[in-house]
Amino acid sequence: MDAFETFLDGGGIVEADDDMPDDYRRAVFAFIEMHANSELMGGLTERDWIPKTPGLRHKMSVLAKTQDEIGHGHLLYMVAAAMGVKTRPQMLEDLFAGKSRFHNVFHYQAVTWGDQVAIAFLVDAAALASQQAVFKNCSYGPYRRILKRIISEEGFHMRLGEDRMMRIAEGTDVQRQLFQDSIDRWFWPALQLFGPDSKPDDKLLRWHIKSERNEVLRDRWVQKFVPMLHSYGFTIPADDLFYDEATNQWDVGPIDWEPLKKTLAQGGPDSARRITEASNNWNRTAWVREALEQASATVPA
Amino acid sequence: MSAAAQPTGIEEFLLAFADDEHLMGQQHTEWIGVAPFLEEDLAFSSIGQDELGHALMLYELVLELRGVEPTDGSVDELAYFRGGEQYRSSTLVEYATTDWAEALVRHWLYDTIENLRWQLVAQSSFAPLAEVAARAQREESYHRQHARALLDPLLASQISRLRILTALDVMLPMAFASLSPPAGESEAIAEGLASGSVLDLAGPLTGAVTERFDTDVAAPETIVADRRVRSADFAPLMSRMREVFDLDHSAVW
Repeated sequence: MDAFETFLDGGGIVEADDDMPDDYRRAVFAFIEMHANSELMGGLTERDWIPKTPGLRHKMSVLAKTQDEIGHGHLLYMVAAAMGVKTRPQMLEDLFAGKSRFHNVFHYQAVTWGDQVAIAFLVDAAALASQQAVFKNCSYGPYRRILKRIISEEGFHMRLGEDRMMRIAEGTDVQRQLFQDSIDRWFWPALQLFGPDSKPDDKLLRWHIKSERNEVLRDRWVQKFVPMLHSYGFTIPADDLFYDEATNQWDVGPIDWEPLKKTLAQGGPDSARRITEASNNWNRTAWVREALEQASATVPA
Repeated sequence: MSAAAQPTGIEEFLLAFADDEHLMGQQHTEWIGVAPFLEEDLAFSSIGQDELGHALMLYELVLELRGVEPTDGSVDELAYFRGGEQYRSSTLVEYATTDWAEALVRHWLYDTIENLRWQLVAQSSFAPLAEVAARAQREESYHRQHARALLDPLLASQISRLRILTALDVMLPMAFASLSPPAGESEAIAEGLASGSVLDLAGPLTGAVTERFDTDVAAPETIVADRRVRSADFAPLMSRMREVFDLDHSAVW
């Protein structure tokens, strides 16, 4: 492992067919699997609202975004499967059986259109910041290359999210109240997406998967979004929020990590419904996959 | 309001196509995230975008004929806010289903008919319509390839053949009914906008279904359907589509 870590510290890039320590393989695989699962479950969170998108052209943009997100999931599952730990069907079966993880934010339900916009605005920004930090110094080559594409597409999504947020922020009282309620629901889950402070011995940092500590990324997000939401006249649902004149920084006060822990154990507010629905949908169309497998098996090579 | 204006024959003719495209695209959006595999989620979001794009272009033509500038607002007024009796969609695209076999069979039937409909206006005397047809036909060949690539193996496997044929039994009468000539069609043909009647597509459709599904089908002796009458699925569908707009009609989303 020492020689391998020296190789990584020297900027070494690991490819799928290279020898790598088993711990590294498993840790990187678990990270990519969670990313893939999150793209998929994020699509399911948004799907409740896609058919209700107000406006023909608006709906086309939202569909284009969704197509990108599912495409990211598709690519990520391929990269993960190539690591030889689990096949794509095994990853999906585990996901739908509630045995594997996906980001905390997708354990919550989007209950209004405002939530849909808040996800595109606050949550996507948090996810993008994390992905950019991984891309910057990622030692696993296949993941790094996929991230390059994901990040460039996510940049477009961010602008779409900002555009939609601004129309609401500059809109009617009904729109503004709708979005304030969504901020109240999504601010903390989005912030918690970054996770608690990184541990001193965080393996993902040591192995050059993550390039920045969780708390650094989280704080950068706070410094961007708190003033931005204030500038549109929205409030932040943090009782202890204060502006530190000495450091010119916003501080959200103590963070309650219990909600995040619950989602990691599939105990989030919408985890059970989400996983059950995904699983039911998967089972309902099992006949299609079985028939296609049978058909491909009978086709002469 | 422009959208509530009494449509001329030509506008009726275009609205029948536009409304079909709009609602078909809408139905495709319901499958995102719940299709049998990720590639199908991707395909349905892409095909849905194309169909909505065709609807958009056709609605814009209607607005131009009315002398109304096509903007997001005026298009949406036309696409979302007519009374039910003013829509001209077919039951085929209004029909709500949670059965993947029905969704796939409808996708194939609709795209097969859609392609034939575009051919009828490909040489249109109304040049903007011919341009829309040319663009749509390029996309439609991919849609049909996609549906075919799934249907062929599903019809070949005993696990799925019966499900697909059962879905065909449900969807085919609606597909034939969609060939009932829309109001304004005779005017469109007389003015050279269209080269023939959709009624004449029953023969080609019968042939295409027989070949694709390897089963005997016959076109009904008479095709009678009134596009001015909405099916039971229309009201819940439209209420879902308007849900966010209905929060505040003065808002821009």
